[in-house]
Amino acid sequence: MLIQLLALLAVTAPALWLLKPHRWRHAGWLAAIAPAVVTGWLLSQLGAVSQGNAVSEQHIWSQALGLALDLRLDGLSLFFGLIIAGMGTAIAVYAGYYFERSSSLGYFYGLLFLFMTSMLGLVWADNLLALFVFWEGTSITSYLLISFKLSDNNALEGARRALVVTGLGALAMLGGFVLLGQMAGTYSISGLLALPASTFTSHALFAPMLGLVLLGAFTKSAQFPFHFWLPGAMAAPTPASAYLHSATMVKAGVYLLARLHPALAENPLWFWALFVVGGLTMLTGALIALRHYDLKAILAYATVSQLGVLVMLLAFDSKLAAVAAVVGTLAHALYKGPLFMVAGIVDHATGTRDIRKLAGLARKLPLLGAAAILAAISMAGLIPAFGFLAKELLLENFFALIESGLSQIGWAGLAATVAAGALAVAYSLTIVWEAFLRRKAELKPAKIEHPPSTLFVLPVLALTLVGAAIPFFLTSIEGTLFAAPVASITAAPAELHLALWHGWTPIFLTSLLAIALGGLIFTLRGKLHKLFASGPQLSGTGVFDGVVEGAYRLAGWSTRTLQGSSFPTQISIPLLAAAGVVIYAFSINLVADLRVDWNALPTFYEVVLPLLAVLATLVIARAQSRLSAIISLGLVGVVVLLIYVFFSAPDLALTQFLVEVLTLVLLVLVFYRIPNHAYPKQPKHRSLKYLLISAAVAVWGFGMALVAAGEPLFPLISDFFLLNSVDAAHGGNVVNVILVDFRGFDTLGEISVMVVAALGGYALLRASRMRPIEPEEDFEEPYDA
Amino acid sequence: MPEIYLSLLDRILTPVLLMLAVVFLLAGHNAPGGGFIAGLVVATAFLMQILARGDQFVRRLIGTYLQPAMGVGLLIAVFSALLGIGHYGVFFQGIWWKISLGDFVLELGSPTTFDIGVFMVVSAFVTSYLLELSRPAERANK
Repeated sequence: MLIQLLALLAVTAPALWLLKPHRWRHAGWLAAIAPAVVTGWLLSQLGAVSQGNAVSEQHIWSQALGLALDLRLDGLSLFFGLIIAGMGTAIAVYAGYYFERSSSLGYFYGLLFLFMTSMLGLVWADNLLALFVFWEGTSITSYLLISFKLSDNNALEGARRALVVTGLGALAMLGGFVLLGQMAGTYSISGLLALPASTFTSHALFAPMLGLVLLGAFTKSAQFPFHFWLPGAMAAPTPASAYLHSATMVKAGVYLLARLHPALAENPLWFWALFVVGGLTMLTGALIALRHYDLKAILAYATVSQLGVLVMLLAFDSKLAAVAAVVGTLAHALYKGPLFMVAGIVDHATGTRDIRKLAGLARKLPLLGAAAILAAISMAGLIPAFGFLAKELLLENFFALIESGLSQIGWAGLAATVAAGALAVAYSLTIVWEAFLRRKAELKPAKIEHPPSTLFVLPVLALTLVGAAIPFFLTSIEGTLFAAPVASITAAPAELHLALWHGWTPIFLTSLLAIALGGLIFTLRGKLHKLFASGPQLSGTGVFDGVVEGAYRLAGWSTRTLQGSSFPTQISIPLLAAAGVVIYAFSINLVADLRVDWNALPTFYEVVLPLLAVLATLVIARAQSRLSAIISLGLVGVVVLLIYVFFSAPDLALTQFLVEVLTLVLLVLVFYRIPNHAYPKQPKHRSLKYLLISAAVAVWGFGMALVAAGEPLFPLISDFFLLNSVDAAHGGNVVNVILVDFRGFDTLGEISVMVVAALGGYALLRASRMRPIEPEEDFEEPYDA
Repeated sequence: MPEIYLSLLDRILTPVLLMLAVVFLLAGHNAPGGGFIAGLVVATAFLMQILARGDQFVRRLIGTYLQPAMGVGLLIAVFSALLGIGHYGVFFQGIWWKISLGDFVLELGSPTTFDIGVFMVVSAFVTSYLLELSRPAERANK
């Protein structure tokens, strides 16, 4: 069933594109059918999976490589699947109204549904390699969605940054997966988790494996210092930002960490890496969020901060932290997604997202205001919102640590959480107050030119209400919704007792302290803005761009140095390198291994022919005109030909003869075109240099010939060819049989290259006769956004 | 650059070279030869024509067939390789037919047709380069 659902979503992608949904007013509801079906099915599995009955499927992919598409639905993948499919349903409806008859809607849906397929595949995959493939799928669709507006340079750069950062991370992660697979002897995730954790944690290669895997998870989840790509990704259309870059894709790293938690979390390296990186991300994200005026930028940095919280929680090997992470994940999806969608509607209605230009939207758009305020309460973590529950659990985790004796970590975590919580309160208040409640904007206020329809706001409101309702039904859903993923993370059955109100505990008082601090920061926000604006810009974007620029410069420098100079210099570099390798090899011990009979006398031909070749070469070197040089070169070829004849290789001799004739004529024809200046007289030192290079090349060629003539290093394959040529390939000419039968694949490749080279050469030779193509005047942008 | 003694020589040499190419091509599996060599021989024959009668003459004669010949040759080669899949399910598996012509038994196989593909690509490739390079400079820059 899992594969059918993935197929359904994958098919929906092109189908919606072909249907041209922008022609229909309410196309979003049609698009929402597929994700709604997935959501419904997942909900129906909730009972069985929470009892511990995971759904498993195997679809053989490549038997020879041991690759199979294993899908498995356990508590954790069901939980993430529900977020993906549920949010996807709301986003599908929302996007229908957001794009509003723009012809790009079909393209957007195509990408959105491909993303959804990859993301669901990612969380359902039960094989590390399959997970990697889906992981890359999400990166690519995310890239295409960020660069959605092809005319926007910022968007293209943001997309490139996101792709390079997450792509490099994913490659590192693949290396980590291979190490992990080698340690476990299997790439199956469930098989790997069934092994005792010491298989991994006490393995000699644990540290590099962990580093590589974490690099993948941290880049994907925008952890410090890779967090900079996420705000750049906000150039994507808002439905994509709300879905990919807040609710789902950036949680892929969190999912991976949660998935591998039972196997890897015992090692202290895991704890320190996640705790430090997650904590830093939480603080930097929250701090930077205060600096921005763009609604989407604020929300993007708030997302970075929240992702840091989740990563930090997964550092701990305790049930409490796992519960906090699971609740935090869902709460975040249910408030940050709607807030992004609200930002999109505000942008849609007023044409700006700058909060300095906005004021009093709640009065003019009451439904939207209600949704925004509800979601912001949750983001700020005020009682009785879902976000409050998440924050309480987070604080409780640190209090438990302090009690259990790990007081330093506990206090550090507590302080960081309070700081980040206060900042969250501050930016939530800022958004709600400045955009929705206050009467007067700072700058020239934007007018509502395009009020959203009720149906546009509906999906936002629905998500917010689900988030607001969950805290009041905790006892009825905690067993099915939260217990199963917690059990997957801790690898032990979990029984939960969540509650909103615990009385006047220290946890609640700390929470109040954070809220009070947040209020204080909110009142001081004008001064803080100025302070931040004058402070140093803590941004990875500059570093990243510097690295990319540096790579370009390095490539340019190496190209200019190695290939930019004269032709003799260009070819001397690889020739000298080859000569160097051979000379080095001989200088170690290879000479002693050579079995050469130094006493054997050379035959007459073996003396005369090389002498002839040497003589011809001297003539070439001293030639005054090109023609005599070419003819002497031909003489060298004839010597080689004669050697083939005397050593009875008629095929080679024939080929050599024909090639010699043809190249001679070709060379004459080529030089015929080049103005016939006499060779410039070379200065002495340059002649000496070329002589030395030639000597090195001679050593190289001689060395290669010696090794080839000596004892074979590997068993020879020629015996096989000679034995099987007539029987198996019906041919007496072994050379030809090798070309067309034994090594036919090589020949096919070579003639394909020939055809390509012919087309290229044809174009080059004709280029001189072609006029430059002038651009057409009525050139339209390929894409109207 | 037509040359009088060359144009006399080419009347004798060109047919000989072309026939030689056919022999090389068909006998190449058992005796010295093969598609690659045969292709070079054909190119040499055309080179002779170019030198004797000028590139315009050869261009008019075969110029339009060269690039199609390369494509068709490649297709023949790929098709011969695919024949193996059709019969044995193995890419490049050779298939052989025996054709009896009285006493003479001709063995024809998919490697032979593959060699014909190689021959077409090589001959057309080298000839097209010869033609393009032998275009006189004053005409080339027009």
